[in-house]
Amino acid sequence: MLLAACMALPRAAPAAEAFITDQDGNAVTVLDLATRQTVATIPVAGKPAGIAMTGDGRRAYVTSPSTQTVSVIDTAARRVIGHFAAPGGPLGIAVHPSGSPVYVADWYTDQVMVIAPASGRIIGRITVGQSPSGLAVTPDGRLLVVADRMSDAVSVVDTASLKEVARVGVGAHPFGLAIDRAGRRVYTADVESNSVSVVDLVTHTKLGSIKVGKRPYVVALDGPHGFVTNELASTVTVFDVRTLAKIATVPVGDYPEGMQASADGRFVYVSNWDSNTVSIIDAQSLSVVGTMGAGSSPRAFGTFIR
Amino acid sequence: MMRHRAAVAACLVLAAPCVAVAHGPTRQKLELSVEIAAPPAKIWAVIGNFHDLSWVPAVAHVEGPGGNDPDSAKRDVTLKSGGAWTAEELSDYDAAKMTYGTFLPHVDVKVLPVADFSTHLSVTAEAGGISKVEWRSAFYRGFPNNNPPPELNEAAAVKAVTAFCQPALDGLKAKLESGH
Repeated sequence: MLLAACMALPRAAPAAEAFITDQDGNAVTVLDLATRQTVATIPVAGKPAGIAMTGDGRRAYVTSPSTQTVSVIDTAARRVIGHFAAPGGPLGIAVHPSGSPVYVADWYTDQVMVIAPASGRIIGRITVGQSPSGLAVTPDGRLLVVADRMSDAVSVVDTASLKEVARVGVGAHPFGLAIDRAGRRVYTADVESNSVSVVDLVTHTKLGSIKVGKRPYVVALDGPHGFVTNELASTVTVFDVRTLAKIATVPVGDYPEGMQASADGRFVYVSNWDSNTVSIIDAQSLSVVGTMGAGSSPRAFGTFIR
Repeated sequence: MMRHRAAVAACLVLAAPCVAVAHGPTRQKLELSVEIAAPPAKIWAVIGNFHDLSWVPAVAHVEGPGGNDPDSAKRDVTLKSGGAWTAEELSDYDAAKMTYGTFLPHVDVKVLPVADFSTHLSVTAEAGGISKVEWRSAFYRGFPNNNPPPELNEAAAVKAVTAFCQPALDGLKAKLESGH
């Protein structure tokens, strides 16, 4: 009850921050996006990789494949306040817009674990395609979409029944994915076919695809533009979400992976796994306007900005 | 496909739900370099051809199409140990910056216990007439599922790639600094 009382207190809006999982650093680096400086390093064991930020920005859930756990971060306090067991290969992670439950993909199976953050217990399992990777939930919370890496498909899951309601083929080995604000379309980064696929979440059909750079990994959306990190090309491809035409290729650091747009849409942040940096892309000029230092092997696979 | 057999065997032993996945969840990073008292261009002349690995002691033979064009170049590499891999790709090539990148989608783990093996080779000028040759690698362990056997874990992968790259860098330094 004390907790509820605290949560009801008004609080000042926090400065925008990025929580970057540093896989080899066994840490999450917190970057202040206004000053572009590191403001905290939070130890997180087990090669942290995936991250999901709650809608209110108060909690971040981080997957650690090596310890098969999910760490709960109190973002304001900048510390780990708990762990959930996530047996298997926890990697991709998402949180429901209401704050609960948390969905964790098991890379080694065809299962997504459903975890109640209040208890830390696994309250359900969703059977999807093989080697589920990136996860995202529609803004209305009704659908969970899963990139099934080894099935070359996305699974569309009804969050109420925890059942797969459709499976739609995309390119080869989809890894990251992003859903648009309308909850109408999902975009997948197809690692082995060097493409981004676009799937309609209402008709359950593939609408088209875009040729991008080598080994695309993660997609981010920002207004009229889609962005995809190309791991082997050390670039980000920018495309028009309406015409699906390629607009620009932006050189970033080496092995770019996790990527997300700022809440105000002005910048897109790219974590560069090999360079140990985060590139800042200006969403207007579509060029890199700054680079921040990160920890060792930053991945930031998921939603990492609050 | 030894890797797949090993994965299937692990599934049977553990009697757990499990599928053959591409690789483990944690990519390894290895950065090896050597400083050589020689101009960058002289070093690049020795190492800057995607189809020439005569400077790598472990390699017996290289062949393949496409020259140094990233859109078409591939190489088949035969090792002196008798092992081999095929269809290694040239992911990028920049002669002006003296750098090229490679990507090997598939290799028998008995030859090299890794998965999704990529490298970047580069030469840069340092102060005082010294050049730095950097050979950076990224790869997953050879065993794609949980609980890898010791010969296919992360440490084994790092050891094997080091054993491939480090003697080449050392040999390059010895050769160029001796005036050959």
